[in-house]
Amino acid sequence: MAEREPNVAEEESTVAEPRTIDHYLHTDRFPHIWCPGCGLGTVTAAFLRAALELGLEKERTVVVGGIGCSSRAVGYLDFGTVHSIHGRALAFATGIKMAHPEFTVIVLTGDGDGAAIGGNHLIHACRRNLDITTILFNNNVYGMTGGQASPQTGMGGIATTAPFGFDEPSFDLCRLAEAAGATYVARGTSYGVRQLQRLIRDGITHPGFSFIEAVTQCPTEYGKRNPPKGPVQMLENLKEKAIPRKKAEGMTPEELEGRIVTGLLHRDESVPELTASYARMLERVRGSADE
Amino acid sequence: MELWYTHLMRESIDQDSLLVQGNRACALGALDAGVRFFAGYPITPSSEIMEVMARELPAVGGVFMQMEDEIASICACIGASLTGEVSMTATSGPGFSLMQEAIGYAIMAEAPSVIVNVMRQGPSTGRPTTPSQGDVMQARWGTHGDHPAIVLAASNVADMYRLTIAAVRFAQRFRMPVILLADEIVGHMRESFSPEIAGRYRLTSGDFDFTETYTHPEMVREVHAPHELGTLIHPHVTGLIHDETGFPTNDPKKSEQFLRELHDKVVHHRDELCLYDVKNVGKGRVAVVAYGSCARSARAALKLAEQEGIPVEVLHLYTLFPLPVEIIQELARRVEFILIPELNLGQYAREVRRLAENWTTVVSMGRVDGNLITPRDIVDRLAELVGKYESS
Amino acid sequence: MSEALTLTAGLLSSREYVEVRFGGSGGQGVILMGVILAVAGTRDRRHVVQTQSYGPEARGGYSRSDVVLANAPIDYPQVQGLDLLVALSAEAAAKYSDMLRRTGFLIFDSDEISSPPLVEATSYGIPFSRLAIETTGRTQTTNILALGAVAGLTGVVSVASLEKAVLSMVPKGTEEMNLNALRRGLSLTPEEWRRPSA
Repeated sequence: MAEREPNVAEEESTVAEPRTIDHYLHTDRFPHIWCPGCGLGTVTAAFLRAALELGLEKERTVVVGGIGCSSRAVGYLDFGTVHSIHGRALAFATGIKMAHPEFTVIVLTGDGDGAAIGGNHLIHACRRNLDITTILFNNNVYGMTGGQASPQTGMGGIATTAPFGFDEPSFDLCRLAEAAGATYVARGTSYGVRQLQRLIRDGITHPGFSFIEAVTQCPTEYGKRNPPKGPVQMLENLKEKAIPRKKAEGMTPEELEGRIVTGLLHRDESVPELTASYARMLERVRGSADE
Repeated sequence: MELWYTHLMRESIDQDSLLVQGNRACALGALDAGVRFFAGYPITPSSEIMEVMARELPAVGGVFMQMEDEIASICACIGASLTGEVSMTATSGPGFSLMQEAIGYAIMAEAPSVIVNVMRQGPSTGRPTTPSQGDVMQARWGTHGDHPAIVLAASNVADMYRLTIAAVRFAQRFRMPVILLADEIVGHMRESFSPEIAGRYRLTSGDFDFTETYTHPEMVREVHAPHELGTLIHPHVTGLIHDETGFPTNDPKKSEQFLRELHDKVVHHRDELCLYDVKNVGKGRVAVVAYGSCARSARAALKLAEQEGIPVEVLHLYTLFPLPVEIIQELARRVEFILIPELNLGQYAREVRRLAENWTTVVSMGRVDGNLITPRDIVDRLAELVGKYESS
Repeated sequence: MSEALTLTAGLLSSREYVEVRFGGSGGQGVILMGVILAVAGTRDRRHVVQTQSYGPEARGGYSRSDVVLANAPIDYPQVQGLDLLVALSAEAAAKYSDMLRRTGFLIFDSDEISSPPLVEATSYGIPFSRLAIETTGRTQTTNILALGAVAGLTGVVSVASLEKAVLSMVPKGTEEMNLNALRRGLSLTPEEWRRPSA
């Protein structure tokens, strides 16, 4: 197995012309499948700007998606890309990262892909603390299949499979990830793109499992049935509801009802990262075998 | 030359003999074939395979992962396989059911991996420590959509070792998942065999040496260049129908071409893939076609039947899929009927029947009480059938 | 080897195909007996298949381990009849004795089985448990002592192979003790084994 080296440019890029995110895009694959007003492209762009900041090498970066609108992003990205199966992106990514610890591995998933069908893989990936960065695009709905309820649709939300209002509470995905053992947990929105970019960048450099929830808007399938209608209104809503963690700390649960707490929510560098501890185990086993 | 079957030889009782448990032999075959990535989830009666891998892989610098379920296990294997690793998982019925969607992905994405299914009685939880051959058609058609399959069946401990190596080589060469079926009896028994036969088969179908001739298997490149994440050669992998660039396509012509080529790469190499052995070629009026544990019963029945004056031909199949079409049809032309003993209700008999019914009568002999079909059972049934034929 | 033992030794070693079952209750080391016999048979250059009860069957009080030894490759892997049944519990003796061939052997622990099943096969009752306590002070060596007696009485495997097999299979640190048990089993006197009145 190759030595583990951080896939991050040590200094500023020496390339003469400043790169744009097109550097990491298969622009020949455009037009993309996303609807006008959709937030998935905004979140993807925040990830790509973070990648530019870090100077991620295409050859050593693998981006894995599951199935759904968000996971389709991998089809437009000029890295090693795996468009896997529904809910299992993290399981694929686990195999890739364990086989090649030197790769930077990013998982793009959605609220259906990551929190419903892939929920078990998500909590186990958090627990393992393998150095993978997961960006979960949360738009509260199954968009690709036409507006069915997701675990994140929320009480009272209308969906094609919840025509009289959804009766089930949602996960607090960030608290779930933290409780499951993720060592970097953050939340941003597709309104606060600069904050989101920073959170993703820091998640990628964090040596352990990073979970970033990107709250975003689906005007076509969610906004159509739930207020506020329209992409601009949905973005304004995200802006109004977002509240930085520091500010939220002094607020009561009642005051925080319906708010989106953003920023770095949890970070723990004391937990061993899995590829590193696996490498130490190999050394131990092979060392004792040589004796 | 350095001994290549080093893991196997560590089991040797002395230089000429081995006594190994079937599941253990499977793991040793994987290690000697170069498998360096294993992800699995415990399930009876296959768990010993993952236990051996957990113990042995670190010493050779490999990766062992116990995943949260069988879906994650096969997906992690595919992930590793996409980076160029040879990966393997092992399971039994319930876990094999969970793996089906991902097996289709590996076929679509042309990701080599080996899936061992040590069969137990099903459906559902069934009888976990009871041998069965109930997953034969699932191995062929378990995942959705039209797809090719390579399915091997082990009948003894040496097979568990050799066929695992064969499965790895086939997976690498044809760039697809290869399924190795065993059953509880073969998986749990300990059996002696000579290290001389490690990796080799001397069969009616020709001599197979998966160690020398397959050391650097040339890939069958009828479809696409291989994926190797980390190289940016063919960098996008998808379970969507895709074209030669690896990116999705909705073009009807390209879609059909892609699916046909996936099939053809297997079907066009049937000669190479179909491993079988015929005993008593051309000497029997009747034939027994069998695989796995039942092939052992059939081979024992052949001797017993001879003593009782019923000449029998036995076709022992090591490869169930792709179907050995020509072999079965040639046999069908030679004999008056074919008996197929199986630990299921006639799954493979249906396949043989549709290939052979123009020439001969195919009789299914299924047993699902959890016991093996004995040589006596087979001989009695043959005698009954021969009698019936003569009196009619 | 004692004179008494040479009377029967070699009976099973001369047969081309031998089917053996060890039966007892969980914890008596019956599975290990099968594995050791299989290793010894392999050392004797015989073809060997060993199978055993698994899972619920193995935990229901019964424990069973079968070994087939042959001069040619073994096709059918399970026992179809028994040439040798070694029973360490009354239940095992009763449950499996029907499978014994007339030319076979029933060898049982007479400390555990006071009224052995009536069989046409040659039957030996030997106080394995008591002999093990006397020899090593440990009931856990009963299985190895019984293996010694079985090999001595029937010649199913060679003594040299059996000794090596025992040494390779018993837990580290117990080799000496188990070897003592084995040798005690191999050197039974006619007074120590008796044929039940037929």
